[in-house]
Amino acid sequence: MEHVNQAIVQALTLLFSGDPELWTIIRISFGVSLQAILYATPLALLIAFLLAHGRFPGQQTLITIFHTLLAVPAVVVGLTLYIVLSHTGPLGSLDLLFTQTAMIVGQVLLSFPILVAMGHSALSASDTRAWETARSLGAPPWRSMLTVMYEVRFGLFAAVIAAFGRIIAEVGCSLMVGGNILNFTRNITTAIAMETTKGEFARGIALGIVLLVLALLLNFTLTAMRTRLDWVR
Amino acid sequence: MKPVLLEFHNVVKSYGDRILLHVNEFDVIQGFCTLVSGDNGAGKTTLLKILAGLLKPERADVVVNGIQLSWHKARIRFLKNIAFVHQDPYMLDTTVERNLAYGLRMARVPKDQIEDKVAEGLHWARLDHLMHRKAKRLSGGEKQRVALTRARILAPRALILDEPTANMDLQSRIATYQLIQQLRDEGMAVVVASHDRSGLEPLADRHLQLTGGKLVPVDMVARHHPSIDNVTRFPRN
Repeated sequence: MEHVNQAIVQALTLLFSGDPELWTIIRISFGVSLQAILYATPLALLIAFLLAHGRFPGQQTLITIFHTLLAVPAVVVGLTLYIVLSHTGPLGSLDLLFTQTAMIVGQVLLSFPILVAMGHSALSASDTRAWETARSLGAPPWRSMLTVMYEVRFGLFAAVIAAFGRIIAEVGCSLMVGGNILNFTRNITTAIAMETTKGEFARGIALGIVLLVLALLLNFTLTAMRTRLDWVR
Repeated sequence: MKPVLLEFHNVVKSYGDRILLHVNEFDVIQGFCTLVSGDNGAGKTTLLKILAGLLKPERADVVVNGIQLSWHKARIRFLKNIAFVHQDPYMLDTTVERNLAYGLRMARVPKDQIEDKVAEGLHWARLDHLMHRKAKRLSGGEKQRVALTRARILAPRALILDEPTANMDLQSRIATYQLIQQLRDEGMAVVVASHDRSGLEPLADRHLQLTGGKLVPVDMVARHHPSIDNVTRFPRN
């Protein structure tokens, strides 16, 4: 037990002393995941809207596919992307393997089904009168779509937060396509995995604390949003 | 004689195998209030949504200002020139003031003019005291008045109202009647679907009943417009 306590104290010291290696890992983690969520969200929410409010052939099949993709493990996405980006793969000439771009692509793929599925649920629950009112008040279709999205913004924020929580905490895909290169592609989760195998628990615990604090913050944000939603209603 | 803004011929709308609407003729006339009544499920809301361009019929020949248009082109005009107000009007999740400004912002009206128009609209409907209130938290009657003002502020050619006085207390109903009358008197074409015959018939220039998917004129004495004789014959089923 004393060993664990010692590791926790060391972890806190590392965090608050501003250890450059540790903070670079944290910066890379947030940088990659924030970019991934930024790229994935607009298209995913557009698809979610079309699935919720459009009428086209294959709509139900698409919804089922996106729900199925929710269950795909990160390592499977990582493996697929590795094959595609490896030198002998179809996109090997782009030379993206073991780069932050590859990690971002992987996290976009991981977050996309969550954003579409949860966005679809939120938008399906939206009131059809919101769309009709916006159209009748002269809003063009794209603006009416934004209005409907604004009306269910708490549900959509929840989708974004859930997707962000998933990709910043995933390890399989980042490890496979990022390669865990120090100061370049090493992020919080790949660093924790590596430090644990090395027996360097303090660094692992410090990074674990960052993830726990993040998880707490995301949950508090979600709870605050739900409370606000109830208050509005 | 008042100008006819829109003419609809052979409007057909069905759900599955069931033909819900088969209206031979219907027109929307400037400064004229048309009351459409009918049983629940008769298709009143469907008809109104078609008139407002919110619902596509299987078939409809549309004449706008004497020119026959395809449904696609007619629909674009309807959405620009006709305002639709739901039975339980949808309030955007913001203040009353921003609800009223929404359509003006969509029409790219300059900001200072938006403020003036919103203030004038609030005054018109005697809603000044609700300006900064959350629109979703208003009573049913207040929402209806905000919705009417929100539509009026855009100066549409026609206003389509679906059961505007449903579930309202007497005071709210009277306030709504007054606003509808004012809109009609301002020259707006008003089409109202309602069960509230006793309250709305005195305001209406003609009364049509939707029955079996067809519009049938209901005998009514022309009260407001001497020109009514020219139009009470519609629809010619």
